[in-house]
Amino acid sequence: MATTAPKAGAFPSPYEIDTPAGCEGWEEMYPYYALFDERRREIDENRFWFWNSMHFPMPMPAFDVICIDSPYQAVGAWQNRVFAVPPAMGIDYRCVNGYIYISGNPVTDPAKIAERAEFFQKRAGYYFQNWSELYGKWRAKMEALIRELGELQVPDLPEYEPDEVAFGDDRNTAFYEVLDAYPRALRLGDMMWQHHFEFLLLGYGAYGTFVEFCKGQLPDIPDQHIAQMVAGIDVLLFRPDAELRRLARLAIETGVDDAFEQGRSPSEIDAELAETEAGKSWLAELEKVKDPWFNMATGDGLYHYYRSWLDDPSIPYASLIGHISALNSGEQIDRPTDEIQRERDRLAGEYGALLDDDARASFNDLLNLSRTVFPYVEEHKFFCDYWFLTRWWNKIREFGALLERNGFLEDSEDVFQLSRYEVASALDELVLTWATGGLPLGPKHWPPIVARRKEILSKLGEWTPPPAIGVTPEAVTDPMTIMLWGVTTDRVQEWARQQSGGSVLNGAAASPGTVEGVARVVRSVDQIGDVRDGEILVCGSTSPAWAPIFSKIKATVTDVGGVMSHAAIVAREYGLPAVVGTGRATAAIRTGQTIRVDGSEGTVTLL
Amino acid sequence: MTDYIRPLQQLSRTDEPSFGGKSANLGELLAAEIPVPPGFAISADAFHAFVHAAGLEDRIASAMAGVSSSDVDAIGRASHAISEAMRFAPVPAALREQIAEHYAKLGENSPAVAVRSSAVGEDSQDATFAGQQETYLWVRGAEHVCDAVRDCWVSLYSSPAISYRARLGEAEQPPAMGVTVQLMVDAEASGVMFTCNPVTGDPSMVAINSSWGLGLAVVGGEVTPDDFLVSKVTGEVVREHIHPKGVQYIPDPAGNGAVRVAVDGDRREARSLEPADLERLVGVARRIERYFGCHQDIEWALPRGETEHVFVVQARPVTAVAKKPEKKPASAMSLIMSTFGAGPPKG
Repeated sequence: MATTAPKAGAFPSPYEIDTPAGCEGWEEMYPYYALFDERRREIDENRFWFWNSMHFPMPMPAFDVICIDSPYQAVGAWQNRVFAVPPAMGIDYRCVNGYIYISGNPVTDPAKIAERAEFFQKRAGYYFQNWSELYGKWRAKMEALIRELGELQVPDLPEYEPDEVAFGDDRNTAFYEVLDAYPRALRLGDMMWQHHFEFLLLGYGAYGTFVEFCKGQLPDIPDQHIAQMVAGIDVLLFRPDAELRRLARLAIETGVDDAFEQGRSPSEIDAELAETEAGKSWLAELEKVKDPWFNMATGDGLYHYYRSWLDDPSIPYASLIGHISALNSGEQIDRPTDEIQRERDRLAGEYGALLDDDARASFNDLLNLSRTVFPYVEEHKFFCDYWFLTRWWNKIREFGALLERNGFLEDSEDVFQLSRYEVASALDELVLTWATGGLPLGPKHWPPIVARRKEILSKLGEWTPPPAIGVTPEAVTDPMTIMLWGVTTDRVQEWARQQSGGSVLNGAAASPGTVEGVARVVRSVDQIGDVRDGEILVCGSTSPAWAPIFSKIKATVTDVGGVMSHAAIVAREYGLPAVVGTGRATAAIRTGQTIRVDGSEGTVTLL
Repeated sequence: MTDYIRPLQQLSRTDEPSFGGKSANLGELLAAEIPVPPGFAISADAFHAFVHAAGLEDRIASAMAGVSSSDVDAIGRASHAISEAMRFAPVPAALREQIAEHYAKLGENSPAVAVRSSAVGEDSQDATFAGQQETYLWVRGAEHVCDAVRDCWVSLYSSPAISYRARLGEAEQPPAMGVTVQLMVDAEASGVMFTCNPVTGDPSMVAINSSWGLGLAVVGGEVTPDDFLVSKVTGEVVREHIHPKGVQYIPDPAGNGAVRVAVDGDRREARSLEPADLERLVGVARRIERYFGCHQDIEWALPRGETEHVFVVQARPVTAVAKKPEKKPASAMSLIMSTFGAGPPKG
């Protein structure tokens, strides 16, 4: 973080944060370099770190740390080493009580900035000029990567190797196959993250520039109008829900809609459908839709427990039930795409006409470029965060299952309580003792570690991290921090003021309107089912995968995110008031509390 | 005798030197089919004829001789002497007849009119400073109209008006000013709107201030008005602040003039404009802006007891708008480069 003249006081020092009772030893879950270490205290204590609750709202399980390392390796590689964004290198992270704090590395030497600007202009310019072609290639690369992941076999360890190993050519024994498959799985993940960030900075940057330009020329323009002018009509991310709407209509047309009764589980519904011919053909139609459209995640997929709709169909089924009941009561459930298209073009035309000639030319150029980059901004989430990542976690689960079958773990899910190095180590011992026939220590070694870590994580989950630690910067100047996290100077000062408490939370006005209602604090995706009709969703951040609950709630409030965040986009799509980036909503608000959300002013009042 | 009066609908921009900016603008608004209450304009020549007929030229000249902008006492003395003399001078009979004739055309039973000064000349944009902003509301009967017209003329020699002209070095030249006489709307609510946000300069917004009763309360700053910001593009109310509105002007029950009364009960806190009113106001604002081709400052009134019409009683170019930072035209790519800190500094 670019900080000018540190100002002490508002936020705690990272070195003076207590370990919650019963969580002693939490550090062992994380790599040595992820901790606030005494050996670099002088530097780290004088930096500004903010809690990345947008991506890491929950304490990190040991394995999931790979979803910190890889993204920050990838984003830094592109930002710092490929595009050489002039004033900002990559992002450092540290872990405190299981929560992830981040801080950008600024470039301050003017000569260095000028040197980097030359790289940036040439390289970013090339991407912008060839965007559609490069993005086409990117999609092909991602689809190939997802296929490769699907084809990766996690071998079993047989009592005797099959004849082919003895008599065939080029066959490997299972010990080698296991030791080969595991790092390959990890490398595929790294590859995904590399792809993930190839276009991200530039895409957000182009869109962010358009937003800034509009606000400069039209200072009072609602954020929603800017998003409406840019947002895609046929965005891939809307396809899954569009398919559900189609299936809902089909269920009614073929008379099987009675099966979709409120409160039934997916398996109960499937069982009833399987009893009739019409039901069976509906299920067959559903199967066709599942690949790829059920590769949505139930949350932003940076934790292993965000499963896909394939693994946990309760979200799409809840959505089906909602669509069917809406259709049966005569409501329109289709996105009015013609209308959205017309309104998008009308807004762009009218706003453009209000500007003078020079400004209009820039406006139109930026709008066109924003529309060009926007498919990537929306779609990379589907390809990377949802489709790839949910399948990748399942691949890791297969290694967990291998360890479970051999007694190293009590449950395949427990694999996520070990770091990726510990998993490698466990697999090493497993294939060693499989080969030697000796007595493995693993079954005695790992289960107690897993049990202890689950206990620590559950206790850390009750701890509320401060929104920031270290020194308060006078100004936030890092373009990435502002663009991707919405952490601006104003926001940080607001957090600092709020450290002393108060009954009004301030954030970004992300979707207009004011409502009062009962808060539902959702800290992780498995609590989504608790949300009741008409409640106000209070969460760290949301993703479009949560879309089905947006038809239930009255408003949404998040800890982190800017007006471009997905919570904001979805809220506007659903016409719900939203305040994003409050810094501490999930800490300050309790489920059941009555709150007022003013999405036009960006305030949340605890009543 | 000279024709000193013309109906508003016969005026256009080019009549500004004879009839003043306010009257000429109202003529333009009528040509643009904006709902403007009917009325007539009295030319600047009428004022000169009045001074001449009353034989006041010499008195004015001697009172004003040697007045300098720095001599406050001298200005006060000149103002007093001239005002007193003018107040007791008769309006020439021929002009009285013309006023009565045009007034009679506005309606039966002594209709209520507003009598306002209509500044002439280069500085008409700065009419506020020139002290040429006299307004007499709810004037009824031809005699009272004549009196109000004379009062407008007298205001040309108020201390601030003399002082202003003295600063411009024009103290000894005879000033020029028209008068506008316009049928009055008994307003349920009235106020001012700008075809842009005057605070931020945003051209996509209509900024509306509104309060109860006749327009004086908002223009005179006697209440904190309800404050609305409405998008021209979608008609959405982007921001609104409803303030308690303690006083309003209403027609004097005695029949002539407007009186200031307290707003009672719930109405103090109630919103003075409903969404449908805002929609109509924005529609009118956009038409006026389009017609004149620049941002306008518009006084409007909603007639009591009906919901269809919005009357515009004045429109003039916006002069004081927050300046947007002067940005050199930049290509989209160079703007994006600045976002990443790879271009010239922003702003």
